[in-house]
Amino acid sequence: MNKNEVFCIVQNTFKNIFNDNDMVVTYSTNSDELENWDSLNHIKLMSAIEKEFNIKFALGELIELKNVEAIVNLIINEKLE
Amino acid sequence: MLFNSYEFIFVFLPLSFFVYFYLNHKRLTIASKGWLVFSSLFFYSWWNIVYLPLILVSVLFNFTIAKTIVGSIDFKNKYLSKKSLLKIGLVFNIGLLVYFKYMDFFISNINTAFGSDMGLLYLALPLAISFFTLQQIAFLIDSYEGLAKEKLFLDYAVFVTFFPQLIAGPIVHHKEMMPQFASVKNKVKNYNNIALGLFIFSIGLFKKVVIADTFAIWATAGFDTAITLNLLEAWATSISYTFQLYFDFSGYTDMAIGAALLFNIKLPINFNSPFKATGIIDFWQRWHITLTSFITAYIYTPLVKSFKNLSIHKAMVATLITFLIAGLWHGASWMFVIFGGLHGIALVVNNYWKKSKLKINKILAWFITFNFVNIAFIFFRAKEWSDAIKVLGSMFSLDNIVLPDRLEYKLSFLSSFGIEFGTWAEEISGSNWTAIWIIIGFTLVLIFNNSIQRINNFQFNYRTVSLTGFAFIFSILSLGKASEFLYFNF
Repeated sequence: MNKNEVFCIVQNTFKNIFNDNDMVVTYSTNSDELENWDSLNHIKLMSAIEKEFNIKFALGELIELKNVEAIVNLIINEKLE
Repeated sequence: MLFNSYEFIFVFLPLSFFVYFYLNHKRLTIASKGWLVFSSLFFYSWWNIVYLPLILVSVLFNFTIAKTIVGSIDFKNKYLSKKSLLKIGLVFNIGLLVYFKYMDFFISNINTAFGSDMGLLYLALPLAISFFTLQQIAFLIDSYEGLAKEKLFLDYAVFVTFFPQLIAGPIVHHKEMMPQFASVKNKVKNYNNIALGLFIFSIGLFKKVVIADTFAIWATAGFDTAITLNLLEAWATSISYTFQLYFDFSGYTDMAIGAALLFNIKLPINFNSPFKATGIIDFWQRWHITLTSFITAYIYTPLVKSFKNLSIHKAMVATLITFLIAGLWHGASWMFVIFGGLHGIALVVNNYWKKSKLKINKILAWFITFNFVNIAFIFFRAKEWSDAIKVLGSMFSLDNIVLPDRLEYKLSFLSSFGIEFGTWAEEISGSNWTAIWIIIGFTLVLIFNNSIQRINNFQFNYRTVSLTGFAFIFSILSLGKASEFLYFNF
């Protein structure tokens, strides 16, 4: 799976979790700018992404995944190897 | 050894620094790490050598468990699963903390509840136990989840005992520290880091010795000595403590960051202008940030995940539980439970408010946040319920108002309402200077750049050299009355 394919799946997961089909998700989207990206939605997002890719994030990783680029990179570099 | 002592600044820090880089220069890498562990343990033992075996046992035990978890020791498959090993590790760490920190608290509560008469143990709190325990719990979980792997005991000992962060954080993670210790580039003196380290260390020293210790005079008198407080004294007491705690703990953190930078190690940010927060969620993203990250990652997240069908209400229950635990982590007293509970409730309110999409004026939001934080810190500081009520009650009682006598000429009509004029800050050993210092305190925390912003914008020039020199010399001249950091007791 290449980076773009991973990004597309992550993007769709965001739209599902935030219930907003029109939302714009880019690599730079982060939890500071997206008001609804709070600690609960963070867990919901990460659990949904884990299901999509059939992977598991460590507790110590979850706290650092505060922007889309970091999420995509971790999936590509560590989880889908 | 205290950061704010002559022996640390003029003997320990220079000696540990020069020997470390000398050994590295001679390519004696193992010796340099050994030196770092030795000096850190010396630094730890300076207070009380009695607890040296305790930290050594804790480090050795956690290293062995983690090594077994990641499979380097061929033991686990035969007898124990990875999960059981993690559980043993967690029980050990929490057990150590419970025994040394909470045992007397539990016994006295059982005695009160059941009218029993069990004897107390009167154990002195081993220095830094709350911090090195949390750091190692995170390490064990990270090892279990494949994030951390440590083969060498010496490296692990450096990670836990590195003296700048040993006593009171910032709470660090294995994966952010070990690459820095391993980097060849970091084994050579870096003059930019030395300049930056001395700069931030001097600012931290000034915050502690000059600012925090000044506010401490009025906070201590108001909480511990005064029998009654008038309205202004009560407010001055609580605000003085709020500022004392911030300048003390963030000053300590700055010194830790500065001392670590001398060794080319970057510690994580712990404070980011907390009193500029306009909500409690915002406050905890700015105050003791490494603790917030720890409790979010290792307490809140597993709790939320353990609930089926996630909802905001369940997440709020998890928030409240997390903050009750975080409150109690600070110390074995119901006052800390109340402190944690108040912040937990405030976070719940803040979260529901956010969901409601109601707008609030920013200044009003700041005002509510600051006052809430200030009031919650009364419970953090009070040794007993009666101390908290003395200060809090007087802050909202109109029965005992004394205004500065210089206002009598203009406001004499207020006398008919029972308001007196005179020395308004007598009970807290204060004067009009107290009010001026509080104004300075607000100016510093609300208008000035914080230490982290100063690090990011640092340039080696005439201005920063003079600021460092001024902060350092002024602090050194005030050092005679060196006092402990507040977080050493937690």
